[in-house]
Amino acid sequence: KKVTKKKDKMSNLVEEYFEAHSTSKVLTSDRTLQKLRKRRLNQQTLHDLLEKSPLAYAAEIEELNQQYESLFSKWMLQLHLGFNIVLYGLGSKHDLLEKFRISMLQDTVHLVVNGYFPSITVRSILNSITEEVLDHIGTFRSPLDQLEFIIKRFKEDSSLELYVLIHNLDSQMLRGERSQQILAQLSSLPSVYLIASIDHINAPLMWDQAKQSLYNWLWYETTTFSPYVEETSYENSLLVQQSGSLALSSLTHVLRSLTLNARGIFRLLAQYQLENKDNPSYPGLSFQDFYQQCREAFLVNSDLTLRAQLTEFRDHKLIRTKRGADGVEYLLIPVDDSTLTDFLEKEDEDV
Amino acid sequence: NQIEEDLNKQLFDNLVSFLRRSHSEFQEKTTEWNCQMKSREIPTAALVLGVNVTDHDLTFRSLSEVLQNRVTPYVALLQAKDCPGIKNLMQKLLGQLMNCYVDVDSEEDDYVQTSQNRIRCSMTSLITWYESVTKTPSKKRTSSRHWQSPPVVVIFKDMESFTTKVLQDFIVISSQHIHELPLVLVFGIATSPMIIHGLLPHSVSSLLCIELFQSLSCKEHLSTIIDKVLLTTQFPLKLSEKVLQVLINIFLYHDFSVQNFIKGFQLCIVEHFYTQPLSVLCCHQEEVKKRINSLSHNQCENIRRLPSFRRYVENQPSEKQIALLTTDGFLKETVQQLLDDLNVYHENYFPVLRCLHVFTSSLPKYPLGKQIRELHCACLENRVWETEEYESFLQLARMLNKCDLVTMLQKCVEILVSSPGKEFDKTVEKLKEFLTQFQKLEGGCALSYVPLQIKLKLFYNGTNGYHFLWYILTLLELKESRRSKKLTKFEMLRFEVVDYIDSVVRNYLVPADHKTLHEIVYFNTASVLREHLNAAPRVALHTALNNPYCYLKSQALRSDGGSISNKAPDICIVYKLHLECGRLINLVDWLEAFSTVVTAVEGPNADAPSSDQVDDVIHARFIRAVSELELLGFIKPSKQKTDHVARLTWGGC
Repeated sequence: KKVTKKKDKMSNLVEEYFEAHSTSKVLTSDRTLQKLRKRRLNQQTLHDLLEKSPLAYAAEIEELNQQYESLFSKWMLQLHLGFNIVLYGLGSKHDLLEKFRISMLQDTVHLVVNGYFPSITVRSILNSITEEVLDHIGTFRSPLDQLEFIIKRFKEDSSLELYVLIHNLDSQMLRGERSQQILAQLSSLPSVYLIASIDHINAPLMWDQAKQSLYNWLWYETTTFSPYVEETSYENSLLVQQSGSLALSSLTHVLRSLTLNARGIFRLLAQYQLENKDNPSYPGLSFQDFYQQCREAFLVNSDLTLRAQLTEFRDHKLIRTKRGADGVEYLLIPVDDSTLTDFLEKEDEDV
Repeated sequence: NQIEEDLNKQLFDNLVSFLRRSHSEFQEKTTEWNCQMKSREIPTAALVLGVNVTDHDLTFRSLSEVLQNRVTPYVALLQAKDCPGIKNLMQKLLGQLMNCYVDVDSEEDDYVQTSQNRIRCSMTSLITWYESVTKTPSKKRTSSRHWQSPPVVVIFKDMESFTTKVLQDFIVISSQHIHELPLVLVFGIATSPMIIHGLLPHSVSSLLCIELFQSLSCKEHLSTIIDKVLLTTQFPLKLSEKVLQVLINIFLYHDFSVQNFIKGFQLCIVEHFYTQPLSVLCCHQEEVKKRINSLSHNQCENIRRLPSFRRYVENQPSEKQIALLTTDGFLKETVQQLLDDLNVYHENYFPVLRCLHVFTSSLPKYPLGKQIRELHCACLENRVWETEEYESFLQLARMLNKCDLVTMLQKCVEILVSSPGKEFDKTVEKLKEFLTQFQKLEGGCALSYVPLQIKLKLFYNGTNGYHFLWYILTLLELKESRRSKKLTKFEMLRFEVVDYIDSVVRNYLVPADHKTLHEIVYFNTASVLREHLNAAPRVALHTALNNPYCYLKSQALRSDGGSISNKAPDICIVYKLHLECGRLINLVDWLEAFSTVVTAVEGPNADAPSSDQVDDVIHARFIRAVSELELLGFIKPSKQKTDHVARLTWGGC
């Protein structure tokens, strides 16, 4: 009976999957954030606002944390016995690891790696080991060579001990196969003790059998419910202003510093693009047409000046050129239409 | 702590030596073969090792050791991850060979070490190095120990992960130089030998002279390890049925890795000595007495608190009860005695278990399991003689023919004689008596039972349907004969034997849970193992998001499940709302739904002083929750539609 029940559940899961992926049609409303008429929050105001709202269930969370803190000495023992510890569960484990560091690792050599930091690389981890722990000055040709050197040093000198704490082992920068391989090999050294945290639901997919045996994990569930403050501060959320694409403020900022004619050129292009915004096959404005229009508006007087101006735009990532099927260059502004409309309105006000 | 380390070491030594032994035979074959090969083609040994990649390291290490000791000093181990290109491969190979060489006779040569890094890594430099090493007179000692031109063995640890091009190039290049440089390749293959032909085209594989070697299957490894480590009295720590079951399940259903099994066992040891305060007493018998005498009053109290000990006390006369509960000295004496009993129990248990296994493993359909570990689990779980399987075992045993019965009895006698227990003299005597009686009953096997025996034999050979039919027929025949004839002398004796075995089983195979003080030596919290070895992060996340009450013990969070509680943490609300959506989620709608749910709480008590302010705070909280969900991998931004996110999981409400 149990088996059939399980089977039912299984087939249900399968059906659900296909149900979710069967139709390519998406049944959602067409409302967009732009229409909400609300200013987008930036990182700072967001932070301030969140500061104001109190954290719910602080007492219970505190209780949970205390429960985990009682495991610290056990972790130390297990680390020394050759296991490495990995923490999983909902909530930021940053503070927990920090407490572990403060209470247990005060007098030892330890290395804290903030995996959520967007520019972290394995190389920088290895560098900090060789330079600061092993006092080695010199460069290595590849991370593999560096790793070999580290392994050799640790094997030679049995008095060397190193605790490595990695927050978010599964972050964008560290989840690659090669970096995981290197970290796994590092952690398999008997005098390197690794304690790491993971958050992503698919994080265990990073490790195949060989890596897993190198890591020699002991899993601990530490559901803290505390907000991911540090971790998400680097995450470019949809709702926060995105740094990847051009935002209105930066757009106006750049254009303010340009000459009047240059601003006019950009305006012309923007207007033209907005006129054609409902045409999905609109390739952009071709250079020749644009030149013609600019001449008519007395914005440029020669081919050369327009080209120079466009180069400047391109350097600021204000425009993009695309070559069409007929080999003609088309000009586009890589900003979404709503921002562009806002921009034009603002320009009108200014003028 | 010290004890643990000792135990770990002991355990590890045992395992390693065992692994070595089991491989040595197989290695011998390989080495012999390596010596014999001398031909135009590159001799290649393909080792089929099985999917448990984690165990291969040990195998290769001991293989290269053996090769170095017996055949050649030049062994290089290559791993796929070190060799993305042919250049890296050559570099690694040269580096290892020269290092190897230095390792073997390190006393005399310093000049080989000179600037290995600067040697250009090419085949020619390899050959010149090889010539210089083998031809120079100072190396005569080396050469005479092995033979005139020892082969260079290159081991590819993980054949599957090498890129095809690198392998092909290496083989083609080295086949050009096979006369000057006697190479032998060893491929470690995890899947099947077909992979060689899959990876290498015909033109390349024709350059190789491949011979296949099969390694021991990991299941056999496991059963031997269980046999050597768990089913002996040598190690004081034992595993309870559930724990063992978990470990075996992880092995059989997940990874087939003996290393991981060992790791699990290690964890058991650590956990046992860490959590159980009375585990100090879990040691070898000689030390028990010393440790019992040094027990503190608190520890005595701990003993009194053990459930099995309480049960024991309750069955004692009242004055003894009082003495046990109040006087530490008396308690210590009793504990000493009880631990001795426990030890004796173990000493008897294992040989009897093995005897029983002799019987069960030869019966058709294996009523109590084919492997001894299954039998062990069954015995630990319950009183084995109360199970149905045991009943069918007895029935089948009553139908055994004489020859088989005699051989089995002989085996049992062997086991019992070699066991350390003292109580088996009588049993052995009894069994021997049975044997002589059987001998007196000459002809029983030969005359009237021939047809029956043939049929039974047929059945033993296999268990497919055809044979099963025979088996049924024999059963019927037997029943008939029993009804019609009086029992023959042999049959009488057979019944007697089976009954006797039954009684022995009942005597000695009592499950350990029924013994007093079993908590000290048995580790039985299987949940710990499952949590730490075989964790399920997704389940944890789901329960935390779906039902935060599991973690945050606040009355406000208690709900029937299913409905969205508006008092839950933000991320839980957002998660629940997202479960209701399809593949794409509109952020605006999501935000509005969220603010509706949240304001439902705040509405009554706060009469919205500045709605704009509240709105912004809610907006900010929503942003935080969504970016947390993104970090956790439930959603990702989508380009399909403006201001939409895609769900990465499916199902839900």
